[in-house]
Amino acid sequence: MHIDFGSFFIQIAAFILLLLLLKKYAFGPLFEVMEKRRQHVLSEISTAEENRQEAASLLKEQEESLQKSRNEAYQIIEQAKQTSVRQAEEIVDNAKAEVARLKEDALKDIENERSKAAETLRAQVGAMSIMIAAKIIEQNLNEKEQKKLVDKYLKEVGGKL
Amino acid sequence: MHDSPTIYVFGLSVDLSNVLMIVVASVIVFVLAVIGTRKLSVENPGKLQNFMEWIVEFVSNLIASTMDMKKGKAFIMLGITLIMYIFVANMLGLPFAITTIHEEPFELFGTEIISQEYLNELEAKKGYAEAHILWWKSPTASLGPTMALALLVITLSHYLGITRNTKHYFKHYFQPSPLFFPIHVIEQASKLLTIGMRLFGNIFAGEMLIAVILMASYWGIVPLMAWQGFSVFIGAIQAFVFTILTMVYIGQSITHEENHG
Repeated sequence: MHIDFGSFFIQIAAFILLLLLLKKYAFGPLFEVMEKRRQHVLSEISTAEENRQEAASLLKEQEESLQKSRNEAYQIIEQAKQTSVRQAEEIVDNAKAEVARLKEDALKDIENERSKAAETLRAQVGAMSIMIAAKIIEQNLNEKEQKKLVDKYLKEVGGKL
Repeated sequence: MHDSPTIYVFGLSVDLSNVLMIVVASVIVFVLAVIGTRKLSVENPGKLQNFMEWIVEFVSNLIASTMDMKKGKAFIMLGITLIMYIFVANMLGLPFAITTIHEEPFELFGTEIISQEYLNELEAKKGYAEAHILWWKSPTASLGPTMALALLVITLSHYLGITRNTKHYFKHYFQPSPLFFPIHVIEQASKLLTIGMRLFGNIFAGEMLIAVILMASYWGIVPLMAWQGFSVFIGAIQAFVFTILTMVYIGQSITHEENHG
C-alpha cells in the first residue's frame, strides 16, 4: 500500500480552499442571517415583555379609575338621597306653616266679624232705647199703662233682635 | 482489478482520478452550499435554507458536546466543511464507477500508465490483454486524501494546543510521570493514523465489496442494493465520526483538564 502524495497535497489545498470559499460565499452570509434572527427573536421577546408590563399597568390604572368612579357615583346617590329628604321635610314644614298662617287669618277674620256685629248691635240697641223712651214720654200714661207699654215695646224690640 | 491513472510530477505520484474526484466533490459541496444559501431570509427561511441551518445547528451541537462553545465557535466552519465534504466524497463512489478499458498501451501527460509489459502480464494471467482504469470513485477510498485530511486536523489540534494552551500542552506529555512520554508520543501518532485509516478503510472496503458483488451479475442485484444502502449509512457515519473526532482532539488540546490521561 502506498500513499499517493500528489493527491495528498492537492487534497490539503482543495480542502482549505473549499473551507474559505464556503465561508465567504455560503456560510458567512448564513451565519449573519442566523445571528440577525437571534437578535430579532431577542428583541421581539423583550418587546413582548414590555408590552405585557404596559398592559398590566394599564389594566391596574383602569381598575383604579373604575373603582374611583364607582365611589363617586355612590357619593352622588347618597347626596341626592340626603337632598331629597331635606327638601321633603322643607316642603312639609312650609305646608304646615302655611296652614297655621291660614288658620290664624281665618280666626282673625271671624273675630273681626263678630266684633263688628256686636258693634252694630250695640248701636241699634241704643237707637231703640231712645225710640222707646220717646214713645213713653209721648203717651204720658199711668203707671199701669206705662208698664203695659214698656212690656209692649220691649217685646217689639226683643222681636226685632 | 482496476488500475489508477497515476502520473509523476517532480517525482511525486499524482493519481489523476483522485485529483478529478477531489475537484468534483469540492465543487458539488460548494454548489450545494451556495444554492442552499442563495435566498437568505431572516424571518421566512426556505426549505434549503432550513436544511443548511440544520447542518450548522448539527455541527454546533456536535462541537458543544466536546468543548466550551465560546472557544468552539471558531471551529464551526471547519466542522461544516469536514462533514459536508467527507459525506459527499463518500457518496460519490456508490451509484456508479467510470472506468476506461485499454487493450493498447496508454499514455497520459507523457507518463506510461498501461505499459506493453503490463498488458502482456495480464494476457499471461487471464488469457486476454485488457486493462481497466478507474476514473470515478470516492476520493476518500484512497489513502492520499484521507491522510491529508487527517494530518490537517491533527496538525491543527497540535498547533492550537501549542499556541493557546502552551503550558498544559507540553506538560501533559510527562504526566503522570516522565516515563509516560513514549506512550503519549505513540498516542499522538496513532491518532493521526487511526483517524485517516478508519475513513479510508471503511470507504475503500465498501467500494471493493460493490465491485465484488458486481461480478455476480444477476445474482448480485439484491445484495448490491442492500450493500449500497448500508454504504450510504457507513458514509454518513464516517463523516460524522471524522468530524467529532476532530473536535474531540481539538477540545483535548485547548482545554485545561487537570486529570487528562
